[in-house]
Amino acid sequence: MRTVAAEEGSPGAGAQERFSALLEEHAGILHKTTRAYARSEPDRQDLSQEIAAQLWRSFPRYDERLPFSTWMYRVALNVAISFVRRQTVRRRHFAELEGHEEAPDPAGGASCGRELQLLDRFLAGLGELDRGLMLLYLDGRRHDVIAEVLGISESNVGTRLGRLKERLRRELDSNAV
Amino acid sequence: MDLEDLRRIWQEQDRKLSEILRADAHRAAESALRRAETSSRGIAWTVLLDLVLAAIPVIWLGSFVADHLGQPAFGIPAATLDVLAIVLLAAYARQYAMLRTLDWTGPVATIQQRLADVRVRRVRVARWILFLAPLLWALMLVVGLKGFFGIDAYAGFGLRFIAANVLFGLVFLGAAVWVSRRYGDRLRTNPFLRERLRDLAGRNLTEAERLADAAASFRRDDGPRA
Repeated sequence: MRTVAAEEGSPGAGAQERFSALLEEHAGILHKTTRAYARSEPDRQDLSQEIAAQLWRSFPRYDERLPFSTWMYRVALNVAISFVRRQTVRRRHFAELEGHEEAPDPAGGASCGRELQLLDRFLAGLGELDRGLMLLYLDGRRHDVIAEVLGISESNVGTRLGRLKERLRRELDSNAV
Repeated sequence: MDLEDLRRIWQEQDRKLSEILRADAHRAAESALRRAETSSRGIAWTVLLDLVLAAIPVIWLGSFVADHLGQPAFGIPAATLDVLAIVLLAAYARQYAMLRTLDWTGPVATIQQRLADVRVRRVRVARWILFLAPLLWALMLVVGLKGFFGIDAYAGFGLRFIAANVLFGLVFLGAAVWVSRRYGDRLRTNPFLRERLRDLAGRNLTEAERLADAAASFRRDDGPRA
């Protein structure tokens, strides 16, 4: 296995620069994951930092045979799902105090489109693992890549995506977009 | 509009966003480096703390049993508590081992199933502690008074007092389970107590098992139909 640690020893200044460059290049993954798994702006910032920190901690074990985006999606989704589980317990106690503020999208009105609002609502209504699957699909990942990120078979990806698309189509029809 | 159109809109939005986000990414990387150095590693540290705290009674009770081998009235309650403390220690050690070897870069469904399994184990252990504590408290009283203050609880309070406490523990447990099922979710002022009541009522276990089942089902491809 060719890992960053094997090449550079423990992460030093060179690794930091490389990590920053890779994170910059794949910033969209960070944003998409936080948008799909956290609803308020403070939660998104918190989750974003948590994902980035875990990425850095795991960076010495990054196997370069795997595309960085695949590796990053794995870490991001693992951290995001665990974050949601923790938030579920927290919300049980503080929901009444906090309310649920939907955060605006930094693209400035991009998510104001009715279609995207519907898509966001659809994603929010899915289980955490199905949400990850749909996120990867929307991001244009191939079935074999989705299977690699999630650790399920390609046929399972196809079956699940088929069901999710069917469900989304029904929701689109009922909302007559 | 069909799904492919939606997907195109989604990807178009991402293209716009990536320009905005490049500037943020540098900041995110810097903050990641800071946070990675300062933050704890979450649940693994909580379990490690549990592990250390569970080791203390194991050592103390082991020493107490050794000192009271010829006094079964003290040795047997202490040995009973020691065995339970060792079981607890082993349960925490298993959880810690599962979490320490957890690789966040692993396939999502596998890692989430593992985390869900740890959660089920944690909730089960918490539930057993809550069930056993009221029943064992009379034994703890006997051993604790003798060990810390040299007081013989049998002579000081009498066997009837101790038997009454065991009985009280049973009644208390029954009442606590009833209260937790009926009113547990209404207690909004104290999150810690509310979680313990949910543990006692079995709600947290049901929820943890549901998540573990969902993760297993996701991997097996037999999840709910659309």
